[in-house]
Amino acid sequence: MLQTLSLFLGIWLLFLLLAIYYLSQAPDGRVGRFRESVSEHLSAESRAKALLREMLSENQYQQLIKFGYLEVISPSIDNRIYRIPGSGGLVKVYERGCAVMELCLQPAEPLPDGDVVVMHKLMIEANEEEYLQKANHFAPGIISLRCQHL
Amino acid sequence: MGMLRIMSRRGDERVVWDLEKVETSDSEAVAAIREAERIFNEERARGATAFRVESGKTLERIEKFDRTAEQIVMVPRVVGG
Repeated sequence: MLQTLSLFLGIWLLFLLLAIYYLSQAPDGRVGRFRESVSEHLSAESRAKALLREMLSENQYQQLIKFGYLEVISPSIDNRIYRIPGSGGLVKVYERGCAVMELCLQPAEPLPDGDVVVMHKLMIEANEEEYLQKANHFAPGIISLRCQHL
Repeated sequence: MGMLRIMSRRGDERVVWDLEKVETSDSEAVAAIREAERIFNEERARGATAFRVESGKTLERIEKFDRTAEQIVMVPRVVGG
């Protein structure tokens, strides 16, 4: 009885291994697709990181790594700072150290996190007026409070 | 050397051209700059914004392809979330 069970288990394992092997080799296989997707994601993230390093000064990059956000000084409004989160979310706006609003603006197509940070930075620094026009404005803390209730 | 960088879900895609070679009518360089200009116009038509980025200079938004730019970064169309 035990021998028969071991034989069935052995055959089942053999089929399982063969199935995994063929799926990973086939270009349209699910495992193959999953592997490609993971590799594509990693490649996109590493390219985004390289762009981020080029576009940010050393101090800005260190701020992003250490605190998880990048602060950009408003080119046209005195004492205003935009705090861009490093991994998605709303951009917080501070004036004289006080939170005055939060902004939501996103690319129409998904981008790696690093590219989104660069996108906000470029738009604020070169095109602040349009950036503010396009973004949805929220009172500070409202979205986070709503999320906490959920 | 000039470079066009287009942000996408795969990270930024790049097209590089050599302006000096373009001016000597080098066929590969001419093809590269034409390709960069074609992509630039195509992305602009889709709503992308272009920025001229040069070390030591003020960041500038541009409407037309600038072959003399050191680097042009294109951001896809953005929407309020």
